[in-house]
Amino acid sequence: MIWLLIVAMGAVVFLNRYAFLEPRLPLRLSSNARQFLGFAVPGMLTAICGPIIFMPGHQLTLSLFNPYLLGSLVAIALVLLTRSVLLSMLASMLIFFLLRSWLA
Amino acid sequence: MPSPPVARQAFVHGAIASLPLSLAVAPWGLLAGSMAIEANLSPLQGQGLSAIVFAGAAQLVAIGMLKGGANLFSILLTTLLLTSQHLLYGLSMRPVLSGLPARWRLGLGFLLTDEFFALTSQHDQQQFNRWYALGVGLTFYVAWNLFTLAGIVLGQNIPHLDRLGLDFSIVATFVALIAPLVRNVPTVVCVAVSLFCSVLFSHWQWETALVAAGLLGMAAGFICLKCWGGRA
Repeated sequence: MIWLLIVAMGAVVFLNRYAFLEPRLPLRLSSNARQFLGFAVPGMLTAICGPIIFMPGHQLTLSLFNPYLLGSLVAIALVLLTRSVLLSMLASMLIFFLLRSWLA
Repeated sequence: MPSPPVARQAFVHGAIASLPLSLAVAPWGLLAGSMAIEANLSPLQGQGLSAIVFAGAAQLVAIGMLKGGANLFSILLTTLLLTSQHLLYGLSMRPVLSGLPARWRLGLGFLLTDEFFALTSQHDQQQFNRWYALGVGLTFYVAWNLFTLAGIVLGQNIPHLDRLGLDFSIVATFVALIAPLVRNVPTVVCVAVSLFCSVLFSHWQWETALVAAGLLGMAAGFICLKCWGGRA
């Protein structure tokens, strides 16, 4: 069951990656479909982050003193200021772990 | 086709270019490996996820859903939706990749991650070098699998690796990738709806919380775009 899942997931992900690299594929996405898929990165990535930030340990946490929330705000500020994804990732992770040990 | 030394040089350049992102993915790889163990997968299955699926977000979400007792179909549907941005990457890289021989198309297609796309998509047909791209993709693949292995080993020896807050590295990475995209009203609406719904649906313990929230966010952004024409 697990191996079936792993192989099926691999196939699904590979199909997503390879579909439009296939030269024999004449199909083109309609402009509406493309515009809709254009929201996939912000929409899906945000949906993944939401529960991690606001529900650490599966408990709804709306406090401002939540290291996940503060760390995210730091990451947003850093990436908008520096335009460096790597720097903001590393710096916000460092700040997150500091905050986590202080606020815990 | 470049001569062998030129090919090797391009491969090494690609490998070096992908080192920062390959290292930044370490906490996440550790998490993917240790969470697989935590969810009662065998070490081989944990490694198999990284070796065969090779998609961090989809792996972690699938492991989480598996732990929550979700069925095969809903996990696959979530995987499909979570990795649908790769359709756009493929479409965008179609001009440089679709003309390559089948083994290169299949190989580079397998390695087409967010990070791979970020490092190779700015090259046009003249600049694009398949060996450089292979260097980027393979380095990232090897790093991801090594960190997963480290996570599997640590996860078996250090209990509750999942409580160290390693999952913040996902948030840090995604936030850093999303924030620069939020430049117009439809994207703001998309992110806001997706964020609110993902927390609300997760609080309600919906099995399909992430998919539903992501789709609602995408739909909200799309409707906004249609109504306002994407004006800032």
